[in-house]
Amino acid sequence: MITRVSHVTYFVTDQEKAHQFYVGKLGFKVNTDATMDNGFRWLTVSPPDQPDLEIALISPLKGGMGYDEETVQAFRVLLGKGALGAGVMDTTDCRATYEELRSKGVEFKGEPKDQFYGTEAILYDGLGNWFSMNQRK
Amino acid sequence: MPIAPDIYRRIITAKLYIDGNFREPIDLDRLAREACISRFHFHRLFTRIYRVTPHQYLTRKRIEAAQLGLAGKAMTVTEICNEVGFESVGSFSSLFKKASGHAPTDYRLLARERSRQVTEQPRSFIPHCFIETLVEGGSPKGFATRAAFGHTKSNSQEAVSGPKP
Repeated sequence: MITRVSHVTYFVTDQEKAHQFYVGKLGFKVNTDATMDNGFRWLTVSPPDQPDLEIALISPLKGGMGYDEETVQAFRVLLGKGALGAGVMDTTDCRATYEELRSKGVEFKGEPKDQFYGTEAILYDGLGNWFSMNQRK
Repeated sequence: MPIAPDIYRRIITAKLYIDGNFREPIDLDRLAREACISRFHFHRLFTRIYRVTPHQYLTRKRIEAAQLGLAGKAMTVTEICNEVGFESVGSFSSLFKKASGHAPTDYRLLARERSRQVTEQPRSFIPHCFIETLVEGGSPKGFATRAAFGHTKSNSQEAVSGPKP
């Protein structure tokens, strides 16, 4: 039986900027940073309290990928629109984290709001992805 | 009761103070002064917001810095212990082991061995599905690429049931 998810992918427009954002601003930890001979960089990060969840930060626009030009262009369009997907991150306190991250230059779509499932603010990673930052009820 | 925006800012100021100065001696008085709140209220509010006490948070930051130092710096365990803000090697080693599951010297050996393997055999750290889809550029060979959209286009004749063993 399947028990857990160990790896997920965040597609980003720029891998190095993603490293700066997820590690430098959000406080994630680098799990693995390996570069293959062809230039493909396998960079995974983990949220502070989930060291066994590896998030692969993948830039499909960069060299070392096996995508054809049509696929790269599709990624470029979807990431540019922020339409590739979304996710949710938990926080111990939405308003505190909102204030702190905003002071570090993180972009939010409005102030924290109370929702049915908790207090939520929506943040943008600047690299094509939107996330709900949620403080569970 | 909700926390006022001004109080939030004060607690965050103290938290950022820990982030920037954890290598120095820091006590509750210092943090409460940073936040301009009494020690009692500061401790209560910090713990409510971050779900760890200020001291626990400070220890966590120091341990994280020690992990990076042990993995990457040519310093002794004692030097790293002092460099990240601990005063006693004994308590550092004990807290480090509790947090990471390994004694500092063991952690260093494991981290360096892993680092060596990552450099020498990067491919062995990448799950194979990622190699197939990212590096080799598409769905694993033999699978229908657009089945989810109702198309019938496939990479091979076995596409419907997947590749033969």
